[in-house]
Amino acid sequence: MAKLTVEIVTPERRILSVQADEVVVPGAEGLFGVRPRHTAYLALMQPGPLTVREGGSSQVFFVAGGFAEVSSDKVLVLADQAEPVGTIDVAAAEARLVEAQKRLAALAEADARYEVEMATVRRESARIAASGRR
Amino acid sequence: MASLRDIRKRIKSVKNTRQITKAMKMVSAARLRKAQEAIIAARPYAQMLDDMVADLAARSAGEELSHPLVAARPVRRVEVLVLTSDRGLAGGFNSNVIRRTSRFLYENRPQLERVELSTVGRKGHDFFRNRGFTIRKDHPGLAQRPTYRAAADVAEALSARFLNGEVDQVFVVYNEFVSAISQQVKLTQLLPLQGFVPQAGAGAPAPAVEVLVDFKYEPNRQAVLDRLVPQAVAIKVYRALLESVASEHGARMSAMENATSNATDLIGKYTLTYNRTRQAAITKELMEIVSGAEALK
Repeated sequence: MAKLTVEIVTPERRILSVQADEVVVPGAEGLFGVRPRHTAYLALMQPGPLTVREGGSSQVFFVAGGFAEVSSDKVLVLADQAEPVGTIDVAAAEARLVEAQKRLAALAEADARYEVEMATVRRESARIAASGRR
Repeated sequence: MASLRDIRKRIKSVKNTRQITKAMKMVSAARLRKAQEAIIAARPYAQMLDDMVADLAARSAGEELSHPLVAARPVRRVEVLVLTSDRGLAGGFNSNVIRRTSRFLYENRPQLERVELSTVGRKGHDFFRNRGFTIRKDHPGLAQRPTYRAAADVAEALSARFLNGEVDQVFVVYNEFVSAISQQVKLTQLLPLQGFVPQAGAGAPAPAVEVLVDFKYEPNRQAVLDRLVPQAVAIKVYRALLESVASEHGARMSAMENATSNATDLIGKYTLTYNRTRQAAITKELMEIVSGAEALK
């Protein structure tokens, strides 16, 4: 059967480049699965777990938003941040989450910083949630 | 003529200097390697982002790729982001950037309502501040540790100013890394973003192996574009920053290499003088002894 070429990159480095059978991507409107011969698809991602299945095994990564470009034999994931769920530092993520919530509580909803902190909260919550999926 | 002791002292001092320049060269070589690795590691993402933009344009030919950050308008206010280093002793690294920036200011100031500067690196900041320029924003520490996050913050701040009309055009001046011994100063336009919309007929069209149908977008086309364009700006800043850091270490490495070999030459010259002077003294003493003995006969 045809395989998918999967690449995960962040602005700072390449995280993964493999052949796989299936990829599940955290799209802006929810998780979507990709198998070979998928239609051309360009999605924004939300922070969440990204699963790469190959044969019977699978790897799970946490991606913190970005883009996923799908063509019939390729999935290119341009993530803002990405890491294998196994290496997530939950304590550090929780610390960042608490910090952001504290700052958020002091801000008005109209403040320009509000969205930024909100994004941090969403990202770190998703990161912590993803760490449970190893 | 300098006495033997003076020459000995000078040799010792030059040797000390050589020790330092040699050590600095080694440190720069190690940092350069790291900086080069960072450039290489950042390449796939930048490449894929470019491809994605090209793909997007190819697949949705006919439709307009519009975004406020690519829209040009009459230029009255300009901002220049100047990338230098925190430390000197790097040959022409900083002065080249500063000279290019000064030339730009000299040439363009008369036509413009306002030109503002923001800086990365202490050298550029100090230079322009000491000459009475107001630095709109300095980004301390960025030249030491260039992270994508920090670069993206700079890009976001500049984009925000562009969008709310505080500036009409933004440039970046930096050293492009050509090789370890060669850097080239570049002044490029950051905003409005150029090269985002591939010009019709520019470059060879991609071989049509498959019929290109437009993407399906999630959530929709405009939302994707709204993220893509700022991302491209951020990547541009990040890249300039990485290039600048690698150039800094490359420039310092060759400057220190030169300094080390100059020191070696100098030591050789002084050693020669030292030996000559010593020999002259011995000869003189011998002659005195001989002539003394002759006189006693």
